[in-house]
Amino acid sequence: MGALTVTEVDGEGALDPGDPAWGAVTATEVPLVPIPFDAQLNAYVRAAWTGREYGRSGPVELALAEQGDRLLARLSWEGSAEPPGEFSDAVALFFPPAAGTAAPVTIGTRVEPVSLWLWRDRLPVQQALPSATQLVAAGPGVFRPESADAGVSARSSRSGRKWTVVLAGPRQALAAQRVGVAVWDGSNDERAGIGAVSAAWTEVGS
Amino acid sequence: MGSGRGTDEQGVGSPVSAKTMTNGDDAVGHGGEGVAPPGQITMVFDLNKCMGCQTCSVACKVLWTREEGEDHQWWMSVNTQPGLGAPKGWEGMGGGWHDGQPVRGHQPSREEFGGGWDFNYQEVLYGGTGNATHLRPVDHGDGTTRWGMNWDEDQGGGEYPNSYYFYLPRLCNHCTHPVCVSACPSGAMYKRHEDGVVLRDESVCQGARFCMEACPYKKIYFNYARNVAQHCIMCFPRLEVGVAPACARQCPGRLVFVGSAEDEESPIHKLVHEWEVALPLHPEFGTGPNIFYVPPLAPSRLHEDFSIDEETPRIPPEYLESLFGPRVHAALATLQGELARVRAGGQSELLETLVVYRWTDLFGKYTTDPATLDRTPDRVPVRMGRTSGPTAAP
Repeated sequence: MGALTVTEVDGEGALDPGDPAWGAVTATEVPLVPIPFDAQLNAYVRAAWTGREYGRSGPVELALAEQGDRLLARLSWEGSAEPPGEFSDAVALFFPPAAGTAAPVTIGTRVEPVSLWLWRDRLPVQQALPSATQLVAAGPGVFRPESADAGVSARSSRSGRKWTVVLAGPRQALAAQRVGVAVWDGSNDERAGIGAVSAAWTEVGS
Repeated sequence: MGSGRGTDEQGVGSPVSAKTMTNGDDAVGHGGEGVAPPGQITMVFDLNKCMGCQTCSVACKVLWTREEGEDHQWWMSVNTQPGLGAPKGWEGMGGGWHDGQPVRGHQPSREEFGGGWDFNYQEVLYGGTGNATHLRPVDHGDGTTRWGMNWDEDQGGGEYPNSYYFYLPRLCNHCTHPVCVSACPSGAMYKRHEDGVVLRDESVCQGARFCMEACPYKKIYFNYARNVAQHCIMCFPRLEVGVAPACARQCPGRLVFVGSAEDEESPIHKLVHEWEVALPLHPEFGTGPNIFYVPPLAPSRLHEDFSIDEETPRIPPEYLESLFGPRVHAALATLQGELARVRAGGQSELLETLVVYRWTDLFGKYTTDPATLDRTPDRVPVRMGRTSGPTAAP
């Protein structure tokens, strides 16, 4: 573990979580906290989740790599103990909008929305759906699709409870040199603004 | 493009862009029925004429929910009352508003809806076993063969000779205060201002399903294959070309009024506001439904010796109150009074209205015959964010 940097990797296989190229990339442990209940914007969500525990997932082991104009992020964490029910495990990488922007909250605000790359475990019936999408977050769970397809993709593997997901997308997403992370425990019905998130941005060294 | 996006290539159907209620942020609480937006589309179902034939259900099913992930979806369905209905036990699943705050609800599962029924057609028709194989439902382990949209049909309540039941057609209530809209964190759901239809932009929906929890009527379904929630869209592409919703137009009992309750000349206005014989289902849920019901009258109870108890209706009034609220007693009294007037040789505008001598009187301004519409392929009036959206079919 060490400071988060972006390492250049070669080869076609870096989207594979088990690709040997990741062995040369330094990972950082990102601690997570429950997305603050007081920050929940939606009255129904507050009513439904009062007194219920959530956001106990984490930490996430995060490593970043680049290939040309592509950024790759490898995220590992302990997923649900239970098989997927109504909701699936998920992980997201957040990016502030641009270098120098304050964006104090990794899950975004209405005034300062942030971008995220979201990976969701898919049910067998959902195999036709992409496992990763790029969204805009304007608060806890206030996710909307990006207007343009950014070409975000992902591959995943699971060993026991441990998920390893590689998300890939445009390198320019990292313009602010900071990232945030969020995880949702599907077996606890976590989704949208109910999950675990990094409390602060993680700086990315050059 | 989502279900809330009517396209308008040739002037049929208008793009749905205006939103009167979007969310993703703090919801304004609502505890009462409130005031519907001007032009709010409204329906009245006369339960005294419903025979439970499910033609409305099938008309809707054929038109809107035949694609992948929609097999368990019945945006329109007819429950037998008393009964558990579909999803199983929906009346006890929570949701709605109380004292201006949303109430936590249960998200009904595919199993509780009864799964998507499938039958062994291949085996029966092509299996080569002749009459030895009979048609039967196939159990996919997802609720099928253990529940369904009309599983407890005709069971009802009471004891012989005073057993009773009636039918209750159910669909999205397109509520004045839609708690589903308020519960949607992504702002995918909205209530459009021109007619108050509650819609969802499926391209924005993230599949969080808080809407399903919050809806107290449990009339929102989840499309697992597409990761979006779906519900009755009030056949808005038909409305936009003057055609009544399929469930109403196809009803053989001719019991479904469509229109605006604010139109003082409309039968709906008279039934809801003037005579007050059309009532919302479970008004205590606080969402202000815009689907109303004329409650069922019942024959008199029988004594043990089978003599008639003229004073006691077979359907317990307290049961009807549990469905339609305390105003049901006055509504029933009004209906009984009008019946007595006619039996005595008098006239009743109310009963004349409910009889519906002219079929098209049911539909207000939505009387266009869909068979008269130009439906050549390049004039399909709506897309649903799918590869082949349904048209304004009959």
